[in-house]
Amino acid sequence: MSAADDQRAILVEDLVRTYPGGLRAVDGVNLEVAPGEIYGFLGPNGAGKSTTVRILTTLLRPTSGRAWVAGHDVVAEAGAARRVIGVALQEAALDPLMTGRELLRLQGALHGLRRAQASERGDDLLERVELVDAADRRVGTYSGGMRRRLDLALALVQRPRVLFLDEPTTGLDPASRAALWREVRALNADGTTVFLTTQYLEEAEQLAERVGIIDRGRIVAEGTPDELKARVGEPALHVDLVDPAEAERARELLAAHGECSHRRGGGLIVRMSGARAIAPVVRTLDEAGIEVDTVEVETPTLDDVFLAVTGHAATDDPAPEPSLSA
Amino acid sequence: MSSLAYAAGLSAAMWRRSLNEVVRVRGALLPTTVAPIIFLLGTAGQFGRLSDLHGFPTTSYLAWILPLSCLQGAGFAGGAAGANLARDIEQGWFDRLLTSPAPRALLLAGPVLAAMTRALVPTTVILSVGLVMGAGLSGGLAGVIALYVAAVWFCMIAALWGSTLALRARTQQVGPLIQNGVFLAVFLSTAYTPLPLLQGWLATFAKYNPVTYVLEMARQATVAGIPPSWAHTWPGLVALSGMTVLFGALALRQLRRVNL
Ligand SMILES: Nc1ncnc2c1ncn2[C@@H]1O[C@H](COP(=O)(O)OP(=O)(O)OP(=O)(O)O)[C@@H](O)[C@H]1O
Ligand SMILES: [Mg+2]
Repeated sequence: MSAADDQRAILVEDLVRTYPGGLRAVDGVNLEVAPGEIYGFLGPNGAGKSTTVRILTTLLRPTSGRAWVAGHDVVAEAGAARRVIGVALQEAALDPLMTGRELLRLQGALHGLRRAQASERGDDLLERVELVDAADRRVGTYSGGMRRRLDLALALVQRPRVLFLDEPTTGLDPASRAALWREVRALNADGTTVFLTTQYLEEAEQLAERVGIIDRGRIVAEGTPDELKARVGEPALHVDLVDPAEAERARELLAAHGECSHRRGGGLIVRMSGARAIAPVVRTLDEAGIEVDTVEVETPTLDDVFLAVTGHAATDDPAPEPSLSA
Repeated sequence: MSSLAYAAGLSAAMWRRSLNEVVRVRGALLPTTVAPIIFLLGTAGQFGRLSDLHGFPTTSYLAWILPLSCLQGAGFAGGAAGANLARDIEQGWFDRLLTSPAPRALLLAGPVLAAMTRALVPTTVILSVGLVMGAGLSGGLAGVIALYVAAVWFCMIAALWGSTLALRARTQQVGPLIQNGVFLAVFLSTAYTPLPLLQGWLATFAKYNPVTYVLEMARQATVAGIPPSWAHTWPGLVALSGMTVLFGALALRQLRRVNL
């Protein structure tokens, strides 16, 4: 591979994975993640997220195509790739007979830390994920949220350059989710590249600098959350008037600012062309003596994006089955 | 850290983890220990007179069957390691090991070593029960050492066989298949009768079954007609080495195919 490729934390070229039986779970995926970036891999159930993660973490060989993590080919240089990655898979597999502290030490041994080093690192991480009090309890007694936190700590033992998190917050309550988001941001601030899969549009929007939307094994859209939203349309302004009877006159005045239509209850929707234009809209109405009650900006969400690019909502259940290869 | 220190540290950590199955699960050792004991009591009672036949190198059927039961207990302990690996694969634990940079062979070393440690328990308990029932240690210390080496090594082979199947099937349902394999390997040998008294296909099978020679080695402990000697030991060592190479290679091959 060329020197330029080394500058990417993750590079994926034409990745395909066909499962026995002919299901093409990953169907020609291309993507790049820059060092220090948080990349959100967003898709519904069965889209191919975990399959992609398993290939990138050397657990599964691609049927065709290639992938590099921190410059290492995940097939030909799997050993080198394993040295730089941290992995928290979708199903946190923790030995219920071991305590949190023991698991962290074993993880340290796996990654070549000396005993003393492994203990020290383990203790730091227990503090970081707030499991100090439960550290010497068997993992079998942990709650779902505690398991997730321990799993994240385990993925961090070796200070990975690239961290893979497969649906890290699925099944967590809002407080635990927010805590995990904070942790991911903090890790990223320290320079860790994060590849995060999620079914939650909000999560991708909250965390990811760039988002790839995968559907039935293919990336159907990619960009910053803002870019993706821009593809759906301009932000809309919802204007409520003190006197609904003036709505028609207001509509005529506002036509200059963008496409303007009535909404139920006597208000107006202005689809603004170009930059946010709340001030000019309000000023125009004010100058014409029309009193404004409330103004709200409605920006499209990734939900809208998903619907626009895939033709079905992200939360559509059941998701259509991925296509079978010929 | 040197790679040797790394290998030793990691194997020790994985060994401790695997031993949890025995130390932290109440009664975990019972099945692999109790089954061979029941078997021992049953056969010694039912076929006790068999050893009166010409060609038996001992007059005590218990002495004849006791090393077999020890080998079986140790073999089941090895098979259990394979079944536990299958569970670890199915539940995703093994993925944690696979995403680490550890050399692949080391990922099996800990569980196999733990199985060998664990095999000491059934071997010792079964031997003690036999002694209480009246078997004598005709071979003295040398015989006992031969028995332990045979049992623990056989356990390792059973663990490698079990790991191969586990890596292939990737589901806990493979457990009975592993143990049936261990049982058959022992059963289709000179388990109940010496070679000269066997007939037909079983005689042929038993003659080429390496377990026959492992049993001969183990029998130096209690069978008066098989006194400790190099002649009764080397065929067993060759058989054990051969099976180790074979099943070790199979396990490693399957381990390399785990991400296909
Ligand atoms: N081992 C397997 N054998 C056969 N098919 C599989 C296997 N693993 C996954 N699949 C199929 O491949 C497709 C993609 O699965 P994958 O787990 O990658 O999706 P996902 O995006 O992670 O979904 P989820 O959000 O439910 O975790 C699904 O249709 C799934 O049924
Ligand atoms: Mg998944």
